[in-house]
Amino acid sequence: MSVTFAGGAFRGATETPSIEGNTIPDTPDLARMRHERGARLRDAMSTQGVDALLVLGTSGVHYATGAAMPSVDSAKATLQRPVALVTVDDPEPHLFTPYPDGAEGRIADDHIHPPLHIDLDECAGDVVAQLTDLAGTDTNLAVDELTHPLRRALGDRKLGNGTTVLGAARMAKTVDELACMRRAQRINEAAMADVQPLVRPGIRQTDLTGALLRSVFERGGSAVGIDAIWQVMPDSIESGPWTAHGDVAYPTPTTDRILRDGDVLWVDSGVLYEGYPSDFGRTWIVGRGPDDRQQRQFERWFAVMQATLDAVHPGATGGDLCRAAIAADPESKSAGRNPWLPHFYLVHGLGVDSAEMPLLGTDLGSEFDDSVVLTPGTVLVLEPVIWDDGHGGYRSEDVFVVTDDGWTALSDHAYTPFEIPGGAS
Amino acid sequence: MTEPGTAALPEGGRVDFTELRAARQERVYAAMAEAELDVLVLGRPSSIAYVTGARALWTAGSRPFSPSCIVMREDRRIHLLATWDEGVPDEIPHEQLFGLSWNPSIAAGNVKAIRGLDRAGRIGADGTSVGFNRLLADAAPDAELVDARDLLHRARSAVLGDELLAIETACALAEAGLEDMCSALGQGRTTRQLLGVLAERLGQMGEPVVPDEAIGFATARGHRSVVDDHPFDAGELVALRPSARYAGYVGAIARTVAVGGELTDAQRSLGRRCREALDAVIGACVPGVSGDHLRSVWRDAGGGPLPAPLVTGLGLGVQRPIIDDAVGGAEALGDGMVVAVHAWLPDDQLGGWLEGDVVAVTADGPLTLTRWSDPA
Repeated sequence: MSVTFAGGAFRGATETPSIEGNTIPDTPDLARMRHERGARLRDAMSTQGVDALLVLGTSGVHYATGAAMPSVDSAKATLQRPVALVTVDDPEPHLFTPYPDGAEGRIADDHIHPPLHIDLDECAGDVVAQLTDLAGTDTNLAVDELTHPLRRALGDRKLGNGTTVLGAARMAKTVDELACMRRAQRINEAAMADVQPLVRPGIRQTDLTGALLRSVFERGGSAVGIDAIWQVMPDSIESGPWTAHGDVAYPTPTTDRILRDGDVLWVDSGVLYEGYPSDFGRTWIVGRGPDDRQQRQFERWFAVMQATLDAVHPGATGGDLCRAAIAADPESKSAGRNPWLPHFYLVHGLGVDSAEMPLLGTDLGSEFDDSVVLTPGTVLVLEPVIWDDGHGGYRSEDVFVVTDDGWTALSDHAYTPFEIPGGAS
Repeated sequence: MTEPGTAALPEGGRVDFTELRAARQERVYAAMAEAELDVLVLGRPSSIAYVTGARALWTAGSRPFSPSCIVMREDRRIHLLATWDEGVPDEIPHEQLFGLSWNPSIAAGNVKAIRGLDRAGRIGADGTSVGFNRLLADAAPDAELVDARDLLHRARSAVLGDELLAIETACALAEAGLEDMCSALGQGRTTRQLLGVLAERLGQMGEPVVPDEAIGFATARGHRSVVDDHPFDAGELVALRPSARYAGYVGAIARTVAVGGELTDAQRSLGRRCREALDAVIGACVPGVSGDHLRSVWRDAGGGPLPAPLVTGLGLGVQRPIIDDAVGGAEALGDGMVVAVHAWLPDDQLGGWLEGDVVAVTADGPLTLTRWSDPA
């Protein structure tokens, strides 16, 4: 059942995957990655008429600087945040950080500064002074987030949309970014292989998280950015939590819930390598293998994945993928649903954020999906869901990248205890 | 006060979360009344947790502000962005939950549909964004928008009795992590591995999240935050600073230990000096004391430049005050605040020593909530 990066479990992968002529290295070249990201960011700034970009969001700072930082709770990440300043004519970003050791050897020493405390009123003046000093006064400044003190400090100054600048740079990935995500995925998958044998009656969800994280860090993971999910799924929507949209609730946070024989778990986790996340999703069953109906759910899921992948190539639209997924599972259609969760998507992107553009199959609508054109280097996490109301459902996800002439897989993990239709790949 | 523990007790001991939520909401409504706010719009996860008590999926890092919880003062109504009721307390009824949307116009419509928002005169928010300002101009055209961060800070900074117990429980969890990290510490081990040890221990105690992955460093390499694969040498000093959450409340502790267990006389003496300097600062943590004064106590006790805050407020996550060399001089500690106090003494030969405790500021003097002694 083991699969290869060249093809995954699915048919049709590119035989010799390349992204704009480059192959994905086994080991990412971090210096080259920082250099290429910086160039993309400054290109996007030029195109959008931005001279200076102030980045406050954690993932954006990572993208702009490549500096390492510990994962911390959102309250600390806001009060004591690293902040980046990129100017269009300087290849080196400025970083204001409480974690200078994470910038060592990655950013020139004279570009590493003490933290700016951009959420504290008393520091608003410092921010303006630094901006004036490093970027001048009559520059076109863009910011990705605003805080109350920053808004007041900048007065009436017109601000560009930093999120749009970052978004344009981040859409297609460099081969080193892809190598980071593949490394994160390998670490996550190996750690899950350690955890799955522990899934027996009596283990608690939080025990599984503990075992997972222990293994992730033993295996070289950089950080963990999200609570791992081991949600026990109900048989029917009605027997699960109330939902605003009348559909399945997922994901719900992990607790010390004790797992019992026959519980169907929808597992989801992401870990970070050099700021890049993995995305692991599988369905497991506590203490047993699937019954025929559950196996059939998996086979329907597998068919949706294959059909969606068959539609992936440069130039294809997001709408093409959604339509292929819908057509592949007539049972979902006759049940009046799409083969994915209505509050999420069929496909999401993956980069320094664990769910980023392209988001396909969302409530942005089919017109939006049709407007998304796939290009080489775009990462696609496919996460169809088969819901068989009264009998639970099946959910897994895998990570792919659009190549010069098709797609290749970045994930590589078995579907145990389910059997791939037609035997091993 | 009850003993720290995480399981529910049949007689209802330990933290009474229903009462705690009600008491926190009472404080927020009183603060809104004082500031004459009709509406409070929250986007920061810790503010939302404070007001609602909802158990949300934990994610690390900052996130852009977006209106995720709307508090209506007049009829004490809390609206919450939540697509399902799992983890949402019963006092927030289903009709006040609105679902996740990726579509800005649908998300804006969900907020605009909140009854009474259009008539609001003053609206406070704990964050801001260009999109939010535009949304409010449309949804509440007559409203004045107010920065609500100070108001929330004042409401939250003095902890309630049950909050103190929750923080103490989180401290006990951090101490358990410290114990395991010490047991795992050895020549050739790394900070990355110790982070795994902490995460595993917290998971086994029912908490799936490490709230701060800056869990320690080999002091010979200076004060550091990012874990790595640098192997520890026998006998060197390693600073360990695990933190943990209980019901969202954060506890932490910091101690320095020698790889292999035995401290040299010189190391022991450095540790004693650091402890004395820390104790001096802790002793000064009384109601009304300023950040400036705490810094001068630190310097008078032999402390030098601070690579990280000397004092950090704790509650549902890290909160004000932050007192370091650059900021927090004008902050004042108040009765009922809980703070983490950290002392760092570098040493050319030995590396350095980090020591930290969590302290409740009370009218009767500082109350140290953390405990851990090095068996060495």
